[in-house]
Amino acid sequence: MRAVQICGAGRAGDGTNTNIFTLGQTLKDRGAWVFMWREEVYSNIQTRDSAFGLRAADQPIYGSDDEFDILEAFDRGALFDLNGEGRIPPIARLRDGGVLLYDTSPRLDYPNASFEISPDMVADLVRDKGIRAFGLPMGQMAKEQFQRYILRGSIALGVLGHLLDIPEEAFLHRLSKTFGEGSELLTLNARALSAGRRYAEEQGWQLPDMRLPFVPQAEDERQLLLGNEAVGAASIMSGCRFYAGYPITPASEILEYMSEKLAAFGGVVIQADSEMAAAHHVIGASVAGARAMTATAGPGFSLMQEAISGAGMTETPMVVVVSQRGGPATGLPTRVGQEELNEVVFGSHGDIARIVLAASEPEDAFYTMGLVFNLADRYQCPVFLLLDQVLSQSNYTIPRLDPSRIVIDRGKLLDAEAVALAYGGNGKRYRRYELTDDGISTRVKPGTPGVTTVYTNTNEHTEEGYITEEAAVRSLMVEKRVIQRMVQIRDDQDLPSPRHFGPPDAPIGFIGYGSVYGPIQEAIEQLTSRGQPAGFLELRTLWPFPVQEVQRFVRQCQRVYVVEYSAGAQLRGLIQREATGPMPQKLRSILRYDGKVMTPGYVIGEVKEEA
Amino acid sequence: MAVDTGTPTITQAEITGPGAWWCSGCGDFGVTAAFKTAMLTLVNDLEIPKESVFIASGIGCSSKEPEMLRLNSYHGQHGRSIPVAMGVAMANPSLVVVDFGGDGDSYAIGMEHFVHACVRNVNMTLIVMNNQVYGLTKGQASPTAHVGLRTGSTPEGRKGRPVNPLRLAIAAGAAFVARGVSWNKKDLTKLMNQAISTRGFSLLDVFSPCVTYHREPGFRGSGPIVDWFRQNYVLDIQDAWRDMRDQVLTDDERVQLPAEYDPTSPDAAMSGLRLIEAASGMGREVTGLLLVDESQPTLDENLGVSAERPPALADISLASNREGNQALLADLR
Repeated sequence: MRAVQICGAGRAGDGTNTNIFTLGQTLKDRGAWVFMWREEVYSNIQTRDSAFGLRAADQPIYGSDDEFDILEAFDRGALFDLNGEGRIPPIARLRDGGVLLYDTSPRLDYPNASFEISPDMVADLVRDKGIRAFGLPMGQMAKEQFQRYILRGSIALGVLGHLLDIPEEAFLHRLSKTFGEGSELLTLNARALSAGRRYAEEQGWQLPDMRLPFVPQAEDERQLLLGNEAVGAASIMSGCRFYAGYPITPASEILEYMSEKLAAFGGVVIQADSEMAAAHHVIGASVAGARAMTATAGPGFSLMQEAISGAGMTETPMVVVVSQRGGPATGLPTRVGQEELNEVVFGSHGDIARIVLAASEPEDAFYTMGLVFNLADRYQCPVFLLLDQVLSQSNYTIPRLDPSRIVIDRGKLLDAEAVALAYGGNGKRYRRYELTDDGISTRVKPGTPGVTTVYTNTNEHTEEGYITEEAAVRSLMVEKRVIQRMVQIRDDQDLPSPRHFGPPDAPIGFIGYGSVYGPIQEAIEQLTSRGQPAGFLELRTLWPFPVQEVQRFVRQCQRVYVVEYSAGAQLRGLIQREATGPMPQKLRSILRYDGKVMTPGYVIGEVKEEA
Repeated sequence: MAVDTGTPTITQAEITGPGAWWCSGCGDFGVTAAFKTAMLTLVNDLEIPKESVFIASGIGCSSKEPEMLRLNSYHGQHGRSIPVAMGVAMANPSLVVVDFGGDGDSYAIGMEHFVHACVRNVNMTLIVMNNQVYGLTKGQASPTAHVGLRTGSTPEGRKGRPVNPLRLAIAAGAAFVARGVSWNKKDLTKLMNQAISTRGFSLLDVFSPCVTYHREPGFRGSGPIVDWFRQNYVLDIQDAWRDMRDQVLTDDERVQLPAEYDPTSPDAAMSGLRLIEAASGMGREVTGLLLVDESQPTLDENLGVSAERPPALADISLASNREGNQALLADLR
């Protein structure tokens, strides 16, 4: 694999994100597989340091590598821990011999700038790490030439275009899509690009050894999107017509996507007053007959536990997307975690049937989402899709999505004709919780002529839905709703089984789910190619737990590392509880709980220490 | 009963459920009797099919209401009937959504939802059986327990001011605000019909005495506790209006005011709030119809929910949505 990794580091709100995003889109247009993530984003809007990562490769990539080849430093915080708080600045990840493009402007009258970078600050780096540094007063140029400080991002792109041999038209093509053909902003950005390129040419700067990996592609063969956008689009295409949610990082993009797109499909979005309300709105809409969902993160998910219990008891289809961030409590709102696994598998009061799926990247999330809705309708229970901050808020390049692969199955929801046939005019009384051979009762949309009483009850209930506390009925209902249901779910062939990667008999094994997928893939490739064969079992269904597949994988490995963003080793605990028992010698953990993204080097480093 | 020959008429027996959950003499029986009568009007006179009625309830004695009926229902969790009802109403606005709550349900644990439902003007009716106590947990003080009321959780008598739901509902912008009493079925039925037919959020708070746990010295039992309410607690809105007209205003001002309180007047919200304050100064609570204001858009209107093809009835097949789905795909970069 050939890949180049670039970091843009500045201050929140100074255009660094746009700079990296425009570069990434341009490289994707040119044929690179691009992955863009939030290297460093504080839970604030402006004034803190921020950094965005971009990796471009000649093959699909699903994560970041350990080192940057190029660092764009727009602010002194890219190089130094300015507040002395122990922060590791992005320069620490710039590889020896890497490239530093930095802004030498004096501190200008710009509200969000912190400090300029002077060439003498860079001299040590150039000497010690062999870094090739290119400094120019980008902010000053932008201010003097265009009266807009923010245009320094485009000046930087002009410099990079020259250094990396990216034609100016490639940027212009992308900028014209962003700002609109003939707009003033397009003209200004085009002039800023040229200014940067001209400056680099005049200085005679060159980087002949660094060329980007482009793979020619057919028009529209690939797309670049956030995990959250994939979830939103897939939900609508899968028939979701009701969305209720409360803003929360890192799930808010789903709320915004649905707010923008759902109305055109006759759908409704309620921005609820809390996650408690949102989850109960979803139950109401689902009982009424709509495909309904919500999305949230840890704190909001805790508030939903009561409703989830209600959906389980009332056998109401309920779809909840949980994007995990660093916890507990408010924790690290903008950074990655996988600390909701226990809550999603074991949370809420009482015994209920439930299904927990996980996605690893946006394409996976897109196709899994349709299944999530089908399973909810088929088994009339809460179904969860686990995401995490990296998957939700990173841009991935994926093969073009194909909506025709989506299948819609509403299970035993009767349409008006079926209701008329079964209940019309024959005096037969509809029973919401009718005991059937397969334990699943039919659903009827309230308002359908022929059925006047669809009684949905969170109390223990009879077949008709009325309260009962009779022991015999209680037992039958629990068996129908929980025991028989979970057996059926376990046997469902549509549940995504774990995917196995690497040599079949590798002595070293990794288990993980979610966005650690990419880093683990690269880690096993590197380990295997250096003579330490390693395999990877990626879990996609977490409940019901894939006991046999995990047992088989663990059995054939000498040592298994469970990789997760959780200090409490929640995934390893689940594996031990459901599949393997303690196995303290064989089963190890690779944990990351500092809020930073997982990398192949982090994974391999832990292996080496234990070898 | 045929289902395809227009709207059939119904009888009380048809909508009566098997429930037997309340103490003898409970005010909730009066509420149920009034509601069934209101249902007959709705179905037989206004020709709303009975399958289009949706009942929501939470937890508490009052929330056993669906057990007393045979209608579409969601018997939910404590305090959460309102957001469930909102989900139903937004997914299918052609349903007539009536939520039965209690004073603990709606004004304590469900207060968040109650206030926002008023603000958003959800097209639904909330009927609260207000009895000042948590009956189902055997008699603790509820948010509406009057000052001094002795209960299991207030052995020295309730201290601090109670929640006033009418004041909250008016201030939060509900479309319909009224208080009925369970012992006056005729007026209560009328208020129910008005509440249900009002477009927007309707709050009908009903004094529905708990004969077991609402203990007033000297007024034990179902008859006496009603006497206590009549003698010591309730004040008809028209009487309150007349009192205010007589006592508070000068002769000059009085001639400009109508003789009767008008809940549809543009001044009703402000007048209602003043009367609630005046009554509470006398240790009283007003009853009657305080406010009807259909001038504000409802939540479904603000959200643009289609009446013909709402979310619950959407055609979600891939074939019918091919163009839309392709447009979504094209919008992804």
